[in-house]
Amino acid sequence: MRLGRHELTLEPRPALPAVYAVLGAVVAILLALVLASVLFLSADAPLFAAYRTVFSYAFFNPHGVLATAQRSIYLLLCTYAFLVPLRAGLWNIGLPGQVYAGALAAFAVPFALRATGSPPALPAGVLVALMVAAAATAGAALGGFAGLLRARLQVNEILVTMMLNSILVWLVAYMIKEGGPFMGATAEGESFSLPPPLYAPLLQGVPFTALLALGAAVFLDLLFAKTALGYRIRAFGENPSAARYGGIIPVTLSLFVFLLGGAFAGLAGYHYFAAVPGVYKIPGNYGYYGDLGFYGIISALIARGSSLGAVPIAVLFAGLSLGARFAQGALRLPFGVDYALLGLLMMTFIASHVLYQFRLIWRRVEAQAPAIAAEMSRE
Amino acid sequence: MWELLARSLEASTVFLFAALGELVDQRAGVLNVGLEGLMLFGGTAAFITAQTTASYPLGFLAGMALGAFLGLAHGFFSITLRGDQVVSGMGLWILSFGLTTYLGGPRTGPLGLERIPGVLGLSPFFPIGVILVAAVWFLLFRTSLGLAIRSAGENPAAAEASGVSVVAIRYLCVIGGGTLAGLAGATYTLSYNPVWTYNFLMGWGFVSLALVFFSMWNPWILLAGASLFGVMWQLSLSPELVLPGVLSRYVWRTVPFAITIPILVVISTSWFRTRWGLAKPEALGRSYVKG
Repeated sequence: MRLGRHELTLEPRPALPAVYAVLGAVVAILLALVLASVLFLSADAPLFAAYRTVFSYAFFNPHGVLATAQRSIYLLLCTYAFLVPLRAGLWNIGLPGQVYAGALAAFAVPFALRATGSPPALPAGVLVALMVAAAATAGAALGGFAGLLRARLQVNEILVTMMLNSILVWLVAYMIKEGGPFMGATAEGESFSLPPPLYAPLLQGVPFTALLALGAAVFLDLLFAKTALGYRIRAFGENPSAARYGGIIPVTLSLFVFLLGGAFAGLAGYHYFAAVPGVYKIPGNYGYYGDLGFYGIISALIARGSSLGAVPIAVLFAGLSLGARFAQGALRLPFGVDYALLGLLMMTFIASHVLYQFRLIWRRVEAQAPAIAAEMSRE
Repeated sequence: MWELLARSLEASTVFLFAALGELVDQRAGVLNVGLEGLMLFGGTAAFITAQTTASYPLGFLAGMALGAFLGLAHGFFSITLRGDQVVSGMGLWILSFGLTTYLGGPRTGPLGLERIPGVLGLSPFFPIGVILVAAVWFLLFRTSLGLAIRSAGENPAAAEASGVSVVAIRYLCVIGGGTLAGLAGATYTLSYNPVWTYNFLMGWGFVSLALVFFSMWNPWILLAGASLFGVMWQLSLSPELVLPGVLSRYVWRTVPFAITIPILVVISTSWFRTRWGLAKPEALGRSYVKG
């Protein structure tokens, strides 16, 4: 772009040290928060009061902190579900579908045992373990289906996972509404509630799934940094043709990353519907929880594929989305501030991504016409 | 029965507009997986504009203008910055999912204007769609601009060498494609189902994207595919017309999505690709570096 005697250009940047990646993530999040303040201003709410309400509810209110912790676990598991295939260059946007599959499988365990008529002969601990395993398996199966199609036939994984989302949304509706098999005895449009013995064990009020989520953060970073398998996945993600030349077989890798990713999403479904105190059922507004999983995409992208790096981001997003919902009621803000934030974060992430790879250069352009004139006069 | 068919063709029109725009994009070598996002934005902008001004034309204009702008944004990221087209497209989709929920939320409910009049119950948009299909076919296969578009998508370096500005052509196509996606969203919220609800599209954009692959990048096959999916969509909404009492209505809702997957599988097999699938633009999804 020319501006008078100066020229503004965008040029590719040489590789930057990792510190800048962290800095970029922080700046992207802060910028999104600043942009979100426009939403608060437009609603005539006092700006600092609005932010104070959001943050004090999410991180200091005893009730809010627990809710933030529980939502963080969910978002983290969704983050891994997106992050693992992304390291292989594949897009798993089937998070809601895999979450629903996990939830349905978890509820199928007590349903199947009750349907046989005999009281559960198994100890509650075994049943909970079965529910967790069923949820992870169902999520993995749904993810693996997309992975297998991608691996064997190069079927676009974005389309397949998105179609599976829509299919599962309606299957859940079928299961829990209008007399479906899982419908609650007392409530229309919700699933049956879990019996108290099947509640997930709590640690300080937080389900044991917290350990799974945090353990997986360490495990995944080690997998990608230190193991041959992790190296193969990254190599395939960064340059598929070179990886194939180097003897890396893409079929098993595509399948593996989707199986693992889907299992995490299935666990997320188990966690939010079967392990969070006060829920213990598939509620009628399950679609809201499923779509919340899309925050996992943003947090994996902003964390640049690092599972440990995603932990603070997921906690922040969990707090923000809960705090924004709370502030909506307290300050009478319009509906959907939490979703707007999701959109703004995506925008600032793309901007930071561009600035990470390019730099703006502002240079003075020498006027050319006089030089030519001088040249001609010399002849 | 006629009513069902008319309604189906109206649904087809939404698929058709969106997919036709994406087809032009892809013929020029640009993949926009954020099609659903462009439709959400276009539909919401059209709905809000039409409701506040009580004018349908202004609503359609707003939807198309926003679609064109987002197409331009996708072009800037993927053509000028040579970024990953999937990252940009997915970004547009998440951005729109978030922002349209916020912007449209307070207006949840019916549009409150008199319905756009149709002829014998058929909305005027389906004939417009057919004319657009013919126009796009003529543009792509019978004009020099069309040749330039197709060559930019097949072999951009060769196109550049023969005097075509690949950058200009691709920009033209993403803006045109975005306009059509905005029109598709506007048709949905102003004509097909003039009620704003949370995430009202629920996958229409992704089905349209799949339709482009099914069409083998041919506008006439696209028209057939969109019509078929429109009928299927309406039948899945009211299955009692065909098979009363069989399966829950929720199970029927999964059918259009469930059918998409086997079709995607068939067109991805090497058997299909070697016989019929040769039309895929060679440089689809790859950014062009002037060398």
